[in-house]
Amino acid sequence: MLNYNQALPEKKSFQDLQIEEIKPIMKLIIRGKKREFISAFGKALNILLPTESNTSTQSDKLTALWLSPDEWMLFSNKPIDENTNDYDTEKLLNNKISKINLGAITDVSDQFVMINLKGNKIYELFQTGSPFNFNNFQNKKGAVIQTILAKIGIIVHNQDKNIVNLFVRRSFSQHLFSWMNDAASRL
Amino acid sequence: MFIINCPYCGEREQSEFKAGGEAHIVRPKQPTELSDDEWAEYLFMRKNIKGIQFERWNHTHGCRKWFNMVRDTSNDEIKAVYKMGEKPPVD
Repeated sequence: MLNYNQALPEKKSFQDLQIEEIKPIMKLIIRGKKREFISAFGKALNILLPTESNTSTQSDKLTALWLSPDEWMLFSNKPIDENTNDYDTEKLLNNKISKINLGAITDVSDQFVMINLKGNKIYELFQTGSPFNFNNFQNKKGAVIQTILAKIGIIVHNQDKNIVNLFVRRSFSQHLFSWMNDAASRL
Repeated sequence: MFIINCPYCGEREQSEFKAGGEAHIVRPKQPTELSDDEWAEYLFMRKNIKGIQFERWNHTHGCRKWFNMVRDTSNDEIKAVYKMGEKPPVD
């Protein structure tokens, strides 16, 4: 059993808004430029990397987020086994991509905290601390953006209408969480 | 505060970006043959024009890519944005 410390121990509920950490989620950063890299990735996992900016793709088990023209984040849709930090997906990608120098795979499962937000006040909450205009984003299922919330860099993934996954670096997560609770309490 | 059109991500607010100084400064091919003054000229001296300036910018809180921008420093009007390695637009 791993000694896994949860970053945000509580779940918070407000009127029309619920905020909670989802854990443990496998998160990998995938980097590569070559065309062979994209096809090798697709063959290995049966999921295509999104090449259009600010979009994502999804399979049964995995979601791939576009971060930059040569960088993606891959995460598991469901929480994974708590007893191990060995991931089959990472091993598979290491063999098919890293070892033959097509691209790079980095495990960032513990670097990023995934916070799930539900409810129809999500974007009102974001409005209070982010310079990004979420008007088009909120109607576009699968959209991804990286921006700032309360001066903290975040990745936002529009999973479904009024369901959003937010990724934040672990060291910032507690401060962001308490800021969100404070902001949500006065919406 | 102004909006910058990142060539990779689209329109974002200025606070997501960092300015990286003047663009298109070519590193001398033979630094050892330069005098101290010439080397200082390359390292430190910048034009800092009031008016149209070519600059490098980085989208730090987004795709983290560098790109070039043509900006009028007197009124912050952005004339053009283009990727690294591309030819600067001729006015």
